Amino acid sequence: MPENIPILVGAVLTVLVLLGYLLGENNFLFRLATYIFIGVATGYVFVLVFYQVITPRLIRPLLSGSFEQIVLTLPPLVLSVMLVFKIFPNLSRLGNLSMAYLVGAGAAVAIGGAVLGTLITQARASINLFDLSAGGGISRLLDGVFILVGTLSTLLYFSFSAKAQRNAAPQRPVPVRAAAGVGQIFIAITLGSLFAGVFTASLTALIERLGFLLNLVRTMVF
Amino acid sequence: MRAPVATAVAIVVGLIILLGYFVPVGIVLVLRDVLLGWAIVLAGMAALVGIINLVKVHWRKSTVRGERDPYSPVLLIVFLATVGAGFALGGPSNPTFQQVVNAVQIPVETTLTAVLAIALAYAAMRLLGRRMGLMAIVFVTSTVLYLLLNSGILAVDSGAPALKSALGVLQRLPVAGARGILLGIALGSLTTGLRVLMGVDRPFSG
Repeated sequence: MPENIPILVGAVLTVLVLLGYLLGENNFLFRLATYIFIGVATGYVFVLVFYQVITPRLIRPLLSGSFEQIVLTLPPLVLSVMLVFKIFPNLSRLGNLSMAYLVGAGAAVAIGGAVLGTLITQARASINLFDLSAGGGISRLLDGVFILVGTLSTLLYFSFSAKAQRNAAPQRPVPVRAAAGVGQIFIAITLGSLFAGVFTASLTALIERLGFLLNLVRTMVF
Repeated sequence: MRAPVATAVAIVVGLIILLGYFVPVGIVLVLRDVLLGWAIVLAGMAALVGIINLVKVHWRKSTVRGERDPYSPVLLIVFLATVGAGFALGGPSNPTFQQVVNAVQIPVETTLTAVLAIALAYAAMRLLGRRMGLMAIVFVTSTVLYLLLNSGILAVDSGAPALKSALGVLQRLPVAGARGILLGIALGSLTTGLRVLMGVDRPFSG
């Protein structure tokens, strides 16, 4: 019997969310399910961060580490204590230094990720399409040109620099506007394909949940 | 100048970590690893501070007259029960604790994903009814086409070569737009990061 408890909890929550959603997002059932979900999720994150970040990287080195480890743990300890002041509105300015550290480190990681992880790899992937030595001949070349036109026009769609005009609203130059129009179609196609993917995934989840409930009812009745 | 010390800390820390990415030599790499290790501790602490603030807000909503929210006590009880179980069972790797958390997380997450299907279908229909433009028509046509392609209805093993190559082109069509969007996001991240490292943006000085 105890092994059935998670299944029953799952069934109750599924019914709560499904019924709650069908009755409107602001009703008792849906809100109850979402608050339970948030409570469990934040509780889990709290335990996870405490056991997998704070204990091994802050508490354990301070309690049982070497002299070098203790010295290296002091700066994050001080910054962590300062960060706690963010909870209190009157003292929240004391946490600015810790936030600055986090923002600086985050900005550097974001730049590194953007350059090394996206800009270089995506540019290289586009360049490789023009490498005729890899085989594929003219069709590969056409593929490369097509991808290049799509990529550039999509990028140009997001370029909003415009010249000021007398007695008229600022407008982008005609070639940029034309390319942006083509880019808009590429964006619509891409978003449509992404939408189809998400819709397929959520439909699969809906079928799985309905199947789960149906099986449970069958097991309980028969 | 607003918050000069904090700005200097953000710039110095950011530049050293960035240098570690592009000049991976001895001392720079060691410094980068140490600074990133400290940032991980601070990120963890920031998550805990965020959760404590959430608890504080819901405690107020549970106790202060005039701000009462009937669901806040439920959140607090569930949160405390989860944290209590986590500490009592010895951490997140305990199988019983994982089973308890999964019993709630998986059904709610899956069901929320499931109801997304209804919301997406409704939104797509409303898009056609309300904003019938070129973008909407291309978007909906592309959605229907890729739904058919994903379903496998159009997949042919021994069909005509022309049909096969047409399907291949259709499958590659979103790659161009996706690459443009990805590059746009990367350029945006790069610009935002550089603005922080140059001290132009200071989102920490509030």
